[in-house]
Amino acid sequence: MNKGKIVSIHSFRGGTGKSNTTANLAAQVALAGKRVGVVDTDIQSPGIHVLFGLDENKMGKTINDFLHGKATIREIGFPIGENTGGAEGRAKLAGKNLWLFPSSIRGREISQILREGVDFNRLNEGLQTTISEFDLDYLFIDTHPGLNEETLLSIATSDILIIILRPDNQDLQGTSVTIDIARSLDVPNLMLMVNKALPKYDFAQIKSDIELKFNATVSGVLPLTFDLADNASNDLFSLRYPDHDWSKALRGVADAILAVK
Amino acid sequence: MNDEIQNYLRKTSLFSGLSDEMLEALAKGTATRKLAPGDILMKKGDLADSLFIINEGWVKIVTVDSKGDELIINKCGPGEVIGEMALLDSGPRSASVVALENSEALELKNDVFQDVLDNHPEISLAIIRSYSNRLRFSTTYIERAIDWSQKIAEGDYSFIDQTQQLSKNTETDDDKATQLLSAFFTMVRKVKEREDGLKQQLEQLTFEIDQARRKQEFEEITSTEFYSKLKEQARTLRQKRTQE
Repeated sequence: MNKGKIVSIHSFRGGTGKSNTTANLAAQVALAGKRVGVVDTDIQSPGIHVLFGLDENKMGKTINDFLHGKATIREIGFPIGENTGGAEGRAKLAGKNLWLFPSSIRGREISQILREGVDFNRLNEGLQTTISEFDLDYLFIDTHPGLNEETLLSIATSDILIIILRPDNQDLQGTSVTIDIARSLDVPNLMLMVNKALPKYDFAQIKSDIELKFNATVSGVLPLTFDLADNASNDLFSLRYPDHDWSKALRGVADAILAVK
Repeated sequence: MNDEIQNYLRKTSLFSGLSDEMLEALAKGTATRKLAPGDILMKKGDLADSLFIINEGWVKIVTVDSKGDELIINKCGPGEVIGEMALLDSGPRSASVVALENSEALELKNDVFQDVLDNHPEISLAIIRSYSNRLRFSTTYIERAIDWSQKIAEGDYSFIDQTQQLSKNTETDDDKATQLLSAFFTMVRKVKEREDGLKQQLEQLTFEIDQARRKQEFEEITSTEFYSKLKEQARTLRQKRTQE
């Protein structure tokens, strides 16, 4: 069947920098020569598509149309490598194999999907079709914070789950439950990424303490940086500022993804 | 006396490249000025038309601060030269000089200097050479300072030990470039010390997880019919994937 891997990016609470991380990880993996897809789960809020230089109106059909049989997956994939625009960082993706798959998750549509029973098998089939149609090596899913049913579906179908957390007790508490769920659903590869760590803390200690608490790998501890906040919605930070500490640590996480057999 | 004046002149950056013969000609052109305590040798803002060498006693170099109070910038004693640039650019004096005690200063007037230049035109060339050397020295260090600044920005302080020697070897110890270097290295050392201190002070975080709450939340999510079905489907899928 498919060789492509489904990579879900999750965080228990909002504000962890999840969309930004997902976009940058996908871009780094595409830059490494892999064929990459990104499922943008919420085009209504400024998220992944903005980082890739797209606005809602430019994107026609969504994953929902596909799930409802109103469009083929071919019509939905938006080729980023052919539409990098003017931004300095994104320009490095020119000619790379990276597609964005927008999905529209308005409240009403979620309940419609749930009522109609878009279940695990249908979602999984959809994702597998996406992988095979575009011959993807990796399909990234930017999941919603929390552990609602839609997110549980994403986790259940993942080959790799990356949980993003800030180094504070509230995020650790939520992450502990997500880790238990991921293990209960037999996710084969689980890794943690700590984001927004204040530079005054000892990053090595954060990594070792969290790894010990969860018996899980921390693939990167990324610093809180105003440079990133400044740039946030305009460009892919790790491509534009490759020598920044945040970008270096992010590439470490991308390498961990690439290392999964 | 004349030898002594020649020695003083040789120490100035302006005349450091001159031959004994040239220095002798200049030394002959100096006139003696006697000062009583409080006498003003030069006034800030006056047109500068002469160089002074303090021969005896001490003078203070003063300006006024923002409140109008006297501010002593420096004190000068025997052998020190004041206002050497005046011979070249004739700008206004940048500070006043007042005698602190009975003193004697030797004055080399601009017009006397010009006469000496007319008779010994080679002095001009020697002065240009010595300035050219100084400029080259300064430029070299400015370039290095740029390079060092970039290294500091990257957190690389390895150049400090290698370059300390260079600044010690310089001959013109009154040179402004040397003063700048010294200030620069003091700054770098202090920045490095502060940074090292900060590294040692990295704060440790302590993490706590409420295990009862963790268990309760896990059970709330996994006890639904949706979850049981999902878990079953996921297991089937994983088995299928590993078989392929």
